[in-house]
Amino acid sequence: MSLAFSRCICRVLPQHIVHRHYPVYIMSKFSFRAEPKKKKKVDPKREQMMRERLKKKLKKLEKVPPELIPIEDFITPTKCLDEERTRPISAISFEESERRALLLKEWSRYKQKQHMAEMKAVESALESQREALEELKITSEELYQAALKPDFTLLPFTHEGPAYTPPKSKYEAPDGKYTDTTRVYTQ
Amino acid sequence: MAAPCGRMASRSVIQFFCTFSRPKSRNVGFRQFGISSACRVTLKTKSVSETASPSPYGLAAAVYLQRLPVISADCSPIEQSFKDMMHQIELEKSLLSDHELRLIEDAERLKRKQADDYDSDEEDSHMDQDIVLTQDLEDSWEQKFRSFQPAPRVRDDVDKDMSSVQRCLADSLVLVSEQTVGDQKLWLLPQMQWQEGETLRQTAERALASLPVGLKATFLGNAPCGVYTYKLPKPLRTESSLGTKVFFFKAILSDSGPSAPPNSALLWLKKSELQGYLKPAYLMKVERFILDL
Repeated sequence: MSLAFSRCICRVLPQHIVHRHYPVYIMSKFSFRAEPKKKKKVDPKREQMMRERLKKKLKKLEKVPPELIPIEDFITPTKCLDEERTRPISAISFEESERRALLLKEWSRYKQKQHMAEMKAVESALESQREALEELKITSEELYQAALKPDFTLLPFTHEGPAYTPPKSKYEAPDGKYTDTTRVYTQ
Repeated sequence: MAAPCGRMASRSVIQFFCTFSRPKSRNVGFRQFGISSACRVTLKTKSVSETASPSPYGLAAAVYLQRLPVISADCSPIEQSFKDMMHQIELEKSLLSDHELRLIEDAERLKRKQADDYDSDEEDSHMDQDIVLTQDLEDSWEQKFRSFQPAPRVRDDVDKDMSSVQRCLADSLVLVSEQTVGDQKLWLLPQMQWQEGETLRQTAERALASLPVGLKATFLGNAPCGVYTYKLPKPLRTESSLGTKVFFFKAILSDSGPSAPPNSALLWLKKSELQGYLKPAYLMKVERFILDL
């Protein structure tokens, strides 16, 4: 367009003026100073996808299942497999083995009786409670409903169990220091 | 149909008001009862012959306070012999421990020392010649153990005192108190009359609080564990009060507080001793939920 224009100017204007060839700056759409963009629009996206795929592959390879924490109770310590440690076995006489067998039978009978007695006691206590609730129902519906409600203040309930000797009043326990050697594993 | 019912209702209401106005000290064997919702419901009963409207039984709640054992019980003979046998078997099947190995080593070393051809240089660079012998260690442990005096398990004088909480530490004990019922003094589990507007468990808690000793207990649940119906002897029975129903609530003693004054009518009894104090019919009902396990 500029060329056509300059040609027009050449024809119109007298020649001595036009010889100079003024640089005609006309605003144009394209800026001739920038680099031409050869990359397509899809390319950066494609590169990103490639990178992600590679990363995923890497992750899959690096994925190791977490190490299982060893259960120390199931591993026999090597100290116990030492041959020196076996106790010299003393032979058990026939009478002794007989006595033991008979004692075991006695024990099973005793334990069975104890168990039956326990079961009976528990059953009778339950029966007594059931009867009490029935009586309460007959007596008063309101009180019965109140009795059926769960008691949330009861739990957690703690009670010190029986020891071998009763507690000593005014006993000062000696200070004990101990080092905790439990091994802690992290997965 | 309506007229006789109404008359009955009015009569019972009048009686109810009368019992309320009558002071308690003049009660000869009657139990005052509170009107409950069931009474209001049963006032609508149709049949005249039914005397169950309002409920003719008074209500009361009692507390079964249990002191659990403090020490483990002694073994019975069979238990003791079994225990010994198991200990023996375990010992036979076990391996030698470090301590036992050291004992054996020391014994061998002593034997070698006492043998004639003993060469002290042959002992492999033992810097531990001056170490304490294992036997000495054992002796020192034994001494330490003996220097500790645990509290005695059984104290006969305390065991005989029925009102002490510290008696018979190996058994579970029940609290029994002497109360005036009607005109008799009876040994019962501590009980209290039910008042309107409270649940039976609250009545039981009141019964516990009314005792002269400050006892702290944990009640196990809202439901009663047993019931005892007390029927008044025939001459004292009326239409409105045939007797009382006592509901028992179980509680476990958590803190006994200061010891009771000696004259307070409170006893801590084992299950076997209850027979000497409670009435047979009452005992029969109460025995069922007292577990002596």
